[in-house]
Amino acid sequence: MKTNKIFDDHLVKAKDTIAFKNNKPMSCFSGSAVPPTYMDITLADYIFDTDKGFQYFIEFVNKINDEAPIDCMNFGYPGMLPIGTILTWWSKVKIPGRELDENALWQVEEKMTMTESDYDILLNEGFDSLFAKIVPQVGDMADIQTFIKYHMESDVKEAQGYIDNGYPVLCSGAVVPPFETLCGARSMSQFFMDCYKFPEKVKEAQDIMLNKMKDDLTNQQFPEFVIGNWVGGWRGASALVAPKIWDKLVWPYMLELSKILIEKGITPILHLDQSWDRDIERFLELPEKKCILNTDGMTDLRKARKVLGEHVAFMGDVPAQMLATSKPEAVSDYVKRLLDDIGVKGVFVTPGCDAPANSKYENLVALHKTASEYN
Amino acid sequence: MSIAEMLANLEDEAVMAEVKKQISDGVEPMKIFEACQEGMNIVGKKFQDGEYFVSDLMMSSAIFKDVSDVIKPLLGTEGEATIGKVVLGTVEGDIHDIGKDLVHAMLSAGNFEVIDVGIDAPVDSFVNALKENPDAKVLALSCLLTTCYDSLKATVEAVKEAGLTDVKIIIGGGPVDQSVVDFSGADTYGETAQDAVFIAKELM
Repeated sequence: MKTNKIFDDHLVKAKDTIAFKNNKPMSCFSGSAVPPTYMDITLADYIFDTDKGFQYFIEFVNKINDEAPIDCMNFGYPGMLPIGTILTWWSKVKIPGRELDENALWQVEEKMTMTESDYDILLNEGFDSLFAKIVPQVGDMADIQTFIKYHMESDVKEAQGYIDNGYPVLCSGAVVPPFETLCGARSMSQFFMDCYKFPEKVKEAQDIMLNKMKDDLTNQQFPEFVIGNWVGGWRGASALVAPKIWDKLVWPYMLELSKILIEKGITPILHLDQSWDRDIERFLELPEKKCILNTDGMTDLRKARKVLGEHVAFMGDVPAQMLATSKPEAVSDYVKRLLDDIGVKGVFVTPGCDAPANSKYENLVALHKTASEYN
Repeated sequence: MSIAEMLANLEDEAVMAEVKKQISDGVEPMKIFEACQEGMNIVGKKFQDGEYFVSDLMMSSAIFKDVSDVIKPLLGTEGEATIGKVVLGTVEGDIHDIGKDLVHAMLSAGNFEVIDVGIDAPVDSFVNALKENPDAKVLALSCLLTTCYDSLKATVEAVKEAGLTDVKIIIGGGPVDQSVVDFSGADTYGETAQDAVFIAKELM
């Protein structure tokens, strides 16, 4: 792909940051649902009119960049993202402009689709049989076809757009561990019960899903523009899951999937919602200086730095509620204190999880300005 | 091992078997129920001490609900006594129910009567529930989306405008902290489902 000096410099800085060779923090944009709040487009059109939505997204990021330099993005434009969520979580998703108001954020509907006996389909007939049973129940297959077509036709074009505007996009996709998918399909409450009542069967099911994912990842030819992929940690958070479940059904899968990505030259970005403090030292099992922990403000990065040293880079972690309700001075103070305490090496400063749609514009500017000016 | 200990250890089948055995042995149903509540108190303590996590709370709540379904019909009017009434719901625009349901379960286990107005609940549904239950002293609002802070605020304001000034309002959910209390005008917030029980007891 044709690059340019600004992009190349940012990419070098990003790679240096992952390897702890940077001298300044990376100012990293993350706010995929924010642009419609400040622009003349509904959230529904922004998500589904993908050519137009992409242009609005880039325009919004450039506007912030004019006031406060942005070095990179966590992830890019969320074209048709609710449909992608259906595919990875095996849950119904309520969509803006359809089930929801055209400016309401899409939301996963927490309902059980996969029955207890469906585990046997997975165990006896394999992953594809269960996928074929569950996914049509939670999503419109025509939407899914459109989603796939959109990515096949637009990924390279959009990647060139990011490059032309000088932004390396660190995450190009999400690897969703089996625990998370089963949580979506069974519903979190029911799946957690499964993990207590028949953990061995759940493990057997997850192993089948993992093997399928390993095969797919191993055979996948990643385009040259792909830098990293999320490895999701949502419902598997230490704060949510008892240690015996986490040790058996969460961490081994996140670790193995991360290692496969590294073998493929892709940086695992462990996207960690909620607190992972209890198990933070387990991240030392990841290959050194090859991964990023992307936290949301609930994991204690100060403790994490003490425990992990320069083993993995951090991406975070200005809390969503602060971006929505506080003043720019508070955001700036938060970023400064964070960097004072954990240092600048191996640090991407960004909103926790993703800046919420109702983030105050001036708070996003404050975040990036403080990160870029920090010495 | 006692019922309380079994429940605290999350031994679902053992708890149910022992409950049924004690019922058939003629043990007073209220004593069995109190033993289950004692088990839930131990679970709450373990959670508070960092020994248990959310999945443990969910598992204990499920066990408690199952045994309550067996015991409560045997309690008669004695089983109707609670320590207070709480109106609970997820605010308008937000369809998340897991956190709300867990708070519901923990409050029930804590011997509160819970009036659950559901998810994506309009402002009026909270106000009406409070008016229909004038003995409800606490309103618990769940909010998982930062984009629904305005709904939180609107609900708090509507309750106050309706003259329900004696009702204490607690909020909870992933992105909720003191800054959201300040923004919404609620009285306080809880970080966990267990917090909701402690706070509700303090407010009664």
